[in-house]
Amino acid sequence: MHIAFRYRLLLPLITALLLIVGYPLGFSFWVSLQDYRLTAIEGATWIGIEHYIALLRNNSFWTALRNTLVFVATAVSLELLLGLSLAMLLHRRTTLGRNFFRSILLTPMFITPIAVGLMFRFLLNSQLGVITKLTEAIGLRIDWFSAQNALLTLALIDVWQWTPFMLLLLLAGLEALPEEPFEAARVDGASAWQSFWHLTLPMLRPTLLAAIVIRMLDAFKVYEYVYAITRGGPGESTETIQYHIYRVGFLYYRLGEASAMAYVLIAVILVLVVTLFYSLRRA
Amino acid sequence: MRKFYRELPPLALLLVALVVVIFPYVWTLLTSLKPEAAINRPLDWNFTPTLAHWQRVLLESNIPLQVRNSALVGLFTVGIALLLGAPAAYAFSRFRAGGSSLRFIILAAQMLPPAVLIVPFFLIMYNLKLLDSIWAVVATHLTFALPLVTWFLIGFLDDVPRDLEEQAMIDGCTQWQAFYKVILPTIRPGLGAAALFAFILSWNDLFYALLLTGKESATLPVGIAGFWTFRGIEMGQMSAAIILAILPVTIASFFVQKYLVRGLGGGALKG
Repeated sequence: MHIAFRYRLLLPLITALLLIVGYPLGFSFWVSLQDYRLTAIEGATWIGIEHYIALLRNNSFWTALRNTLVFVATAVSLELLLGLSLAMLLHRRTTLGRNFFRSILLTPMFITPIAVGLMFRFLLNSQLGVITKLTEAIGLRIDWFSAQNALLTLALIDVWQWTPFMLLLLLAGLEALPEEPFEAARVDGASAWQSFWHLTLPMLRPTLLAAIVIRMLDAFKVYEYVYAITRGGPGESTETIQYHIYRVGFLYYRLGEASAMAYVLIAVILVLVVTLFYSLRRA
Repeated sequence: MRKFYRELPPLALLLVALVVVIFPYVWTLLTSLKPEAAINRPLDWNFTPTLAHWQRVLLESNIPLQVRNSALVGLFTVGIALLLGAPAAYAFSRFRAGGSSLRFIILAAQMLPPAVLIVPFFLIMYNLKLLDSIWAVVATHLTFALPLVTWFLIGFLDDVPRDLEEQAMIDGCTQWQAFYKVILPTIRPGLGAAALFAFILSWNDLFYALLLTGKESATLPVGIAGFWTFRGIEMGQMSAAIILAILPVTIASFFVQKYLVRGLGGGALKG
């Protein structure tokens, strides 16, 4: 009776997830083994692992993957640095207006990324952009969306939107730390820097790890900023993996190939997360 | 007094952060109120505010329809997610059903890149003749809303003392009644926060909606994404539409922030 009840509670969710996640995942793998085209959905032919073999020599795919890794590494490390600094500032008991700052500083993570992308496209536009005009006024001419800068600019936009998420998690982590070790350190004459380095950071490690992994997984999905601003250009300089899969599947109509790319992406992410998890755990 | 001076550097840093965060909002709001000519001269402050862009957006564009579609998609997504997620979260929290591995499999589903699911969803919806309907979008949004709501509620249910349902069952409730008459009402804030957060995520999605909707079923992010095709000419209207998209979620965020960490943790961030 007891057993029956708990599984009756679970059954609807499990069924739904099998239907909307499990089935599509399996279906997607089946599609990746065929020459599936949007222009000829009925006429797909079985080709086995040919798409996967072709991917090995597909330069655009690896460029997109490399761009995404650069984007993720840049954005997430800056977000970590800024998020931790802001969290430390807001954690201080004596800081004025903590709640006010906190609630405003957190807002960017709640708004739709396409709006963020378009706002910054406008702000950084070479003719209409107020930020461009302001930096020109102090003698700095920056072409934000040139082939060299565009990917970095997109990463900075990500930093604007997602540092709040780091701040949210790290601030909660700081608030959950016990007080005693810090008081003991103060009595022993430790400086603020020493207690940060030897107490705060080690004790905060689980939260840091969780925040980094969650943010990385999310940053891998970057799509909206690319769609809103650069559409992968100039050249292939901002072609990210999610955008590339969208392009191959829905602009070039090659659904089979796009599915194969998606599966390679899952494998790459899995390897990365597992590596990161174990190396950070041991450190 | 010395204490006061020591507070100045952190305050200055926070003010800088505040300006960086607020500036894009303010500028977009200003742009939505500027006449066309003034938009082309960003540093010129001599302009007469106009409501023309807002009028066009609210009365003559597809934006109101898209707002309605977004709201409907969000409501259906949240409704279904709560209906299926709350009982499951209860099973996870109270009976350790499936152990921790099943919990994490469900969480992993939430982390899947949308690029993985979009191809099969597109084909499934094509076969079901559901392309260009909000139902296709609801189904895809459930892929992240279901795990999120479940995970969220586990965190809240873990904090409810077990005595509550034991007492209810002594008083003659069945297990099921104890759950929905006694336990669910005690986590009302958690239900509210989970619903609000799932709604925000659904409201914000572009990727799925862009590929699965058409003219009639387009959601607000899809509508906003369509403005720049006019080579910047519709800047004012786009700004108004952006404000329309971000204002409700920003207000909602003030209510949800407090509960977010507790929910997101789902027990994972506690240890």
